[in-house]
Amino acid sequence: MKLPTPYRIVLTLLLAGLPLAGCVKKPPQPPPAPPVTQKQESVPTPPPVPAPKEEPAPAPAPVGSGDFQPVFFDFDAYTLREDGRTALDHNAKLLRDNPNIRIHIEGHCDERGTAEYNQALGERRAQAARDYLAAAGIAAASMDVVSYGKERPFAEGHDEAGWQQNRRAQFVIRQ
Amino acid sequence: MRRWLGAILVTLAMPAWVARASAQAPTEVRIDISGAGQRIRIHCEALAPAADAAARSLAGQADDVLARDLEWSAAFLVTRSATGGVAPGDAQAVVGGTLTVAGGQVRLRGEVSDLPGHRPILSREYRGGSAEWRDIVHRFADDIVLQFTGEAGVSRTKVAFVGATGRDKELYVMDLDGAGRRALTADRSIALSPSFSHDGSLMLFTSYRGGGGPRLFVIRQSGGRPYLVSGRPGLNTSACYSPDGREIACTLSMDGNSEIYSLDARGGSPRRLTNHRAIDTSPAWAPTGREIAFTSDRGGSPQVYLMDRDGGNAHRLTYDVDYTDSPAWSPKGDRLALVARTSAGFDIYTCRSDGSDARLVVSGGSNENPRWSPDGRHLVFASNRGGSFGLYVSDLDGREPRRLDTGGLVATSPAWSPRPEGSASALDELGTSHSVPGGRP
Repeated sequence: MKLPTPYRIVLTLLLAGLPLAGCVKKPPQPPPAPPVTQKQESVPTPPPVPAPKEEPAPAPAPVGSGDFQPVFFDFDAYTLREDGRTALDHNAKLLRDNPNIRIHIEGHCDERGTAEYNQALGERRAQAARDYLAAAGIAAASMDVVSYGKERPFAEGHDEAGWQQNRRAQFVIRQ
Repeated sequence: MRRWLGAILVTLAMPAWVARASAQAPTEVRIDISGAGQRIRIHCEALAPAADAAARSLAGQADDVLARDLEWSAAFLVTRSATGGVAPGDAQAVVGGTLTVAGGQVRLRGEVSDLPGHRPILSREYRGGSAEWRDIVHRFADDIVLQFTGEAGVSRTKVAFVGATGRDKELYVMDLDGAGRRALTADRSIALSPSFSHDGSLMLFTSYRGGGGPRLFVIRQSGGRPYLVSGRPGLNTSACYSPDGREIACTLSMDGNSEIYSLDARGGSPRRLTNHRAIDTSPAWAPTGREIAFTSDRGGSPQVYLMDRDGGNAHRLTYDVDYTDSPAWSPKGDRLALVARTSAGFDIYTCRSDGSDARLVVSGGSNENPRWSPDGRHLVFASNRGGSFGLYVSDLDGREPRRLDTGGLVATSPAWSPRPEGSASALDELGTSHSVPGGRP
C-alpha cells in the first residue's frame, strides 16, 4: 500500500491515537512505529484513583455496586495493602453517605491453590475488608461476607496480571 | 535377575472353587510377578460370540471393556487377538470365553489359563440382564485381578467430579471408564468437593445453590434431591465422613475463622476440633478413625497436619516438601497423598503416615485433589497437564497418567467411590455361577 507521505503521517497519527489496550498485535503497515503507544499491560496493582467526581450532579444518581472499589491482595495473603486501605476509605465514605445500602463483600482468589484452601483464604480477605470498615464506623449489620474462593475469577489470564485481578474483595450491593 | 523367592504361587491365593471348576485342576500354577511395577503379560482372545447377531455386536464392545479393565488394573500388560489368534510367545496367561445373549439375558463364560501350559486358572459364569453387560464384564475383570493379585480390581467403581459449564459447576458421576456419565445437580451454581460415604451410596458436597455462601449437602449417588447438612453462617465446606459413617469432618467458620469441626451424620452437634487464628481446612479422616489430616497455614504457609480425632496432638506431617495441601489417606491408612506447590501449580506426592518416604507421583502443570482408588493401587486427580482441567489416573508406578473420559467437560475435584456392595464377596461364593443383582434370575 503506497500513500502520499502526508496521508501516511495522518494515518500513523490516527493509529497512534487509537486505544490499543485490547489490541495486542501492533499493525504491521506503518513503518515509523510510534514510540508512545507501546504501553505494556499495566502493572498489576493500579493504585485506585480517589475519583473525586466533581460534576455538579443535577440529580444524584443512585449508587451502584460499580461505585465501590475492589480491594486487592498479595498472593496467599489477607493483610490489607496501602492501596487496599485507600479503596476501603473510599468505600467507607460511600456507605456513610448512603446509610441504607447493605453490601455483600465477596472474597476472591487466584487459581493457584486448592479450591478448599482458597475458599478459606477468600473469606479471610472479605473479612479483612469488613473489619476495616467496621473499625471505620460502618455498622456491622449492613455488611456480610461470602467467599467464592477461586470459583468466580474476574480475569481469565494465567499470569500475574490476571491473578492480581482475581485476588480481591469485591463489593456488591444487596438488594 | 529373576527373584524366584519373590515368585507368587497363584494357587496359594486360589479358593477351592477354582479347583472344582475344572476337572483336571493343576496342583500349582506358577507365574512370576516379582519386581516392583512388574506387570503380568496377559493375552485376551476375543469373547467368541455364539451364533446370534445380538451377541456378535456385543462381543466386540465387551472385548474392549475387558481389555481396558485389565490394562487399567495396573496388574497386567495386555495383548489382544481376534478369535483363534495366537498369543505372543512371552504371554504368561490367556483370557477368553463365550458371550451369549438370549431372552434379554447376557451370559458370559469366562476362562483364564496360564501359558504355555494352558492350565486353567479361572473358569466362571456371569449372568445378568442385557442392560448390565458392562457390569458383567467388569465382574470378570475384577475376578481376574483378584486371582492374580489377591485383591479384586476396581473396574466397577465410580468417579464423582465437578464439571464446569460456563461459570457454573455441577456435580457428576460416571463409571471409571466414562460410561454412564450423568449430572447429579442442575443448580446453575457452584458445586465443589464431593466425597463418598464408605458404602458409596451417598455423597457429601459443597454448594452455593440457593444463594448466599457455601453450604454442605448430601445427595444419593443415584441422584435425586440434595439435603442440607450444614448451612451455618460463613463457610460450610470440605466435608468427609468418618470411617464408621457416624460423623462428618468439615470446615466451618461460624465462630469467625475457618476451623475443623466434627458433626453427627445429619449435620448436628458441631464439635470444634481445631482452635487457631490460622486457616484450617480440608480434613481427611484416617481409615482407622483415630486421626484426621488437615491443611493449616498456622506455620506461615499451607501445610498438611495430623491430629487425633478429638483435635489433640496436632503436628505437621512432613518437612520434606514445602507448601502442602489436599491430604488423602490410602485405604489401608499406611500412606497419604498430598499436593505440593511448584511454580507451575502442584505436584502430587505420597508419604508414609509418619511423614517419611515422600515420593513424587506426578509433576508438570497443576495436579490437584488426589484421591485413592479403593484398592490403593491408583490415584485419581485433576490436572491441567493437557491444557484445560481434566481427570487423570496414576498407577503410582512412574508411568504417564491416563486421562479419564469426562465427555469433554472441564473437570476438577474427583472422588473415587468404594467398590459396590457384593463385588468383594466373590471369594465367598463358591459356585461357578454369578448373577448380577438387578438381573432377572
